[in-house]
Amino acid sequence: MIAAEFGSTPWGRAWVRSVAAIAASGPNALLPRARTLARNHAVELTTEPGRIEARVSAADAVQPVHIDVPLWSPQTQAQVRRLLEKSLAEHPVLIAGDLSDSFEADLRQEGIPVAAGLDELRAECACRSRKRPCVHILATLYALAQQIDERPALAVGLRGGATDPVAPPLPGWIALTALDPVAFYGD
Amino acid sequence: MPVAANPLQPATPRAGVASEPDAVPLPGRLQATFVPNENAMAWWGVQLLEQAVQEHGLPAGRPGTCRLAVADGSRVRAATVPVRLVDLDSAVHALRTPVPPDEESASLRTWREAVRMLDDDDAFAALGERMPAAAHGALNAEGTAIVTPTVLLTEFRQALRARAALRSTTIHATLRPYQQHGVAWLTARPRSGQGGVLADEMGLGKTLQAICLLASRRTVGPHLVVCPTSLIGNWRRELARFSPDTVVVSHHGAQRKLPSTVPPGAVVITSYPVLRRDTALTRTRWDVVILDEAQQIKNPDAQVSRAAAKLTATAAIAMTGTPVENRLDELWAILHVTNPGLLGSRNRFRQLFVTPIEQRRSATAAAALHTLIQPHLLRRTKADVAADLPPKLYSTVVCTLSDEQARLYRKAVDRAFSDGFGVGIARRGRVLALLTELKQICNHPAQYLREEKAELGRSGKFDRAAEMLAEIVDDGERALVFTQYRAMGELLADHLTETLGAGPTPFLHGGLSAGRREELVRDFQESADAPPVLLLSLRAAGFGLNLTRATHVMHYDRWWNPAVEEQATDRAHRIGQRRGVTVHTLVTGGTLEDHIAAMHENKRGFAKIALGRTDAALARLSDEELHAVIDLDSGALA
Repeated sequence: MIAAEFGSTPWGRAWVRSVAAIAASGPNALLPRARTLARNHAVELTTEPGRIEARVSAADAVQPVHIDVPLWSPQTQAQVRRLLEKSLAEHPVLIAGDLSDSFEADLRQEGIPVAAGLDELRAECACRSRKRPCVHILATLYALAQQIDERPALAVGLRGGATDPVAPPLPGWIALTALDPVAFYGD
Repeated sequence: MPVAANPLQPATPRAGVASEPDAVPLPGRLQATFVPNENAMAWWGVQLLEQAVQEHGLPAGRPGTCRLAVADGSRVRAATVPVRLVDLDSAVHALRTPVPPDEESASLRTWREAVRMLDDDDAFAALGERMPAAAHGALNAEGTAIVTPTVLLTEFRQALRARAALRSTTIHATLRPYQQHGVAWLTARPRSGQGGVLADEMGLGKTLQAICLLASRRTVGPHLVVCPTSLIGNWRRELARFSPDTVVVSHHGAQRKLPSTVPPGAVVITSYPVLRRDTALTRTRWDVVILDEAQQIKNPDAQVSRAAAKLTATAAIAMTGTPVENRLDELWAILHVTNPGLLGSRNRFRQLFVTPIEQRRSATAAAALHTLIQPHLLRRTKADVAADLPPKLYSTVVCTLSDEQARLYRKAVDRAFSDGFGVGIARRGRVLALLTELKQICNHPAQYLREEKAELGRSGKFDRAAEMLAEIVDDGERALVFTQYRAMGELLADHLTETLGAGPTPFLHGGLSAGRREELVRDFQESADAPPVLLLSLRAAGFGLNLTRATHVMHYDRWWNPAVEEQATDRAHRIGQRRGVTVHTLVTGGTLEDHIAAMHENKRGFAKIALGRTDAALARLSDEELHAVIDLDSGALA
């Protein structure tokens, strides 16, 4: 079986569905173009809770894209955490950064959406197209879905959920940025 | 077809080295940092380093550079720092010498404290808290982080204990610096209850490093070595040579029977085919399990892989010379046995890593995988450790005789002796004929029986050669293979053409025109898509051939004249050549090949045999002496 290019896990698929929703009322020519951009490594992407930053290289120009993603409410986050702990107890052996597919099903059952709808996002792109969301924003979301397919914990982290039991910051290592240059030599 | 990204390459290329400012901002006081990758203490921090080291009464060590963190104004950054590297034992010895406090840098001071409290766990933990970053500034592969003091102090103690354990066992070998590091790494694995993969390039001495690990663990339980049948003899030989005190049990062949209790520290050697069907092996609780040539378990559905996964052990160590990191399914299969759970289920691994890396060359997935496996996989290439290596690296590979070979060999010897050799010229002719028959049988029964095709499984030497050449080609290297027999060269050429997937394997022999021979040599030396293996008849590979593109030389059979063999080897190696050459000599254990190789090595036995002109000298021996040289040594077979 060949895995889906976008949304090979339920975690990434949730975001693919959000994007595809704009084609619900009729075909949208931007979607195939957005997928081509994501496929051709045109999107450079970083995420933090509640925010996606991207640079999309298309037609000789690089478009900066910012997308604000609504965070889960504190109550929802607490609920997610409980479900996560339950899931980790059931699946003790997971790759770092992975979350079980049944955890996604649990969230859906509780009515907690992993992906936000397009109408909930505040997305900005510097391009001149009047169409919103533009092809760059859509490409960013497709690239996001792929990154989530590689690392499902990203989907939860993006909504402000804690995934630290799964993905500790590299144990045994200290980032250079966390070191104090003044105290470095200790004297 | 998409090319798989190499997950072992850091996601961000180490361009840092080039883009760093030229001048490294040094603190101006002598610093000490333990560098686990070098298994050594690094002195650094001042311009006139050697002088400063001397003033502090410390051993000078060897010069080098290390990737270390340094403070640079308002930030801490990665730098390539000139250092003096000192072997741990001499560093510890020197650091024990007391000095007045406050005269030295904090990093040097904390390491002086560390070596005085090696056995005190609490004091050691407290030390970690006041250790300055400079004392534990060895960088990760990406140059983005340094190791925590707790982890580094643990590694430091483990490295020292491993050395002490090694000293207390007798290892008859001098380990090269990278091998010492490899042994420290290996001995740390069972201590942390984890397995791992030793993936050093072929020729760097993986077997020796593994033997050091086994010999350093004498008390916990028995060890198991699983290897291809063709390598059983080699393992026995290497264990006896490097660690003669180790009790070795061969568990192989139809008569095999595992003793009801195997003493702790003993090593049971078995083959993959036996592992597949022998339940006694999966019932035993092992201390260390070594899976040599671990590509044998690359298919997780195969019975042998399932049997390997069922073994119970403190730690399973896989050894392979192939670059497993480029074959993700193989990587999963091997780590599934050595580090169960690390890479998740096979399906999930495909979803999270294989599909992204192979289908869309995802750099993020490759980097995540690298981070995941990096602590559990140790691979050094010859280029990495070139400074530690001699220009020519010699390796004798002892191969196992197949049952068919043993039967043919005994029959030929019996028949020759019952027919008798006669005297004079006739005797000489008959002895030489027998020697030729025996050498042919060692090469492959198909050569002896004049068959068209040489199959795998009938000759230990042939199997081993095919395995080694496949590995060399996988590594992107080139090899010369010498044989003295035209027929054997043809059989090898056909087999390699079929299995290496690199086009027809050329065979340079005396039957070719001079022009054709030149063409083959030129192709091998210069052509971009030339086959990576060139077979040569030892006789035709005369003077003046320049084949320096080869980094491996294999002597498939023996000429029994060291000078001639050396001359052939030097086709690939020229004085002043930048790259080293690994010379593999194949010897079939227990046969005349083995006996005569031993005579050459020891410069003993029948003097003329040891001096070359072996064939002629053998013809002059009495029947009894001759029998002693060629008879099958059944002790060396099992």
